[in-house]
Amino acid sequence: MGKNVLLVDDSMTMRKIVGRSLRQAGIEFDTIFEAADGLEALEILEKESVDIVLSDINMPNMDGISFLREKANREAIKDIPVLMISTETGDDIIGEAKSLGAVGNIKKPFTPDKVNEILGPLL
Amino acid sequence: MENFQQISDKLIEATVEIFTAMVMMEISVNGEPLDNIGTLKNSISGLVGLAGAYKGFVAVHLPENVAFAITSSFLGLDVDEINEDVQDAVGEIANMLGGNVKTELSDAGRDIALSLPSTIYGESYDFRPSDEAERIIIPFKVPGGEFFVELELEIE
Repeated sequence: MGKNVLLVDDSMTMRKIVGRSLRQAGIEFDTIFEAADGLEALEILEKESVDIVLSDINMPNMDGISFLREKANREAIKDIPVLMISTETGDDIIGEAKSLGAVGNIKKPFTPDKVNEILGPLL
Repeated sequence: MENFQQISDKLIEATVEIFTAMVMMEISVNGEPLDNIGTLKNSISGLVGLAGAYKGFVAVHLPENVAFAITSSFLGLDVDEINEDVQDAVGEIANMLGGNVKTELSDAGRDIALSLPSTIYGESYDFRPSDEAERIIIPFKVPGGEFFVELELEIE
């Protein structure tokens, strides 16, 4: 059985670009779920079978850091890996994301090769 | 501001990287930086504000036809009016530019906050710079025409 991914970004454009980059990188998922913020992401994680989450940090309603914090407190979903995809590169914010369980960070803008390099080993 | 030129160079580098890697369009700098672009006609602008250790904004100003060409290339769909897709694509370009400027200015990430991107558009509008801000406007050329990337930062 193939794997499922959840893309979390308030920009529909960016969700499409990430999806396109996954295909161009030769990374195939059975289902690509999409969420526009951390709240929507938590709802999907509670209902669906998701193998990995690719999440933005700066989002309305619930940002990526708050999403990681909330997810860590929910037993059923706390172990699902989250890879950040963000314009943020600062040690403070990326460090906090990693301390809350993020498994890595892809900086925007990115190429399909960069997605493959960072995401590939996690699958 | 001693490093303003350095930040401007980074902005050029980031714009080229965004268009090459993600919008999938050829791009080049189109002449010398400007300090004013006057009234924008039939255009759309994407803006991201910076607050904290540095205050100001990063903006991308696109004539409608250029915004349509960019959105088509970015998303792989045809557009001929400013709709949610165009606003989202333009806002995301501003967001990535803002992130790159923040990376250049910030020590570790928490000293500068980026706003969420916003867009404005219309038949005719102006951007009035603050008297206490340093401003640079960089012209770029893509196959659809010319557009501008603007950085305004308050002088310490």
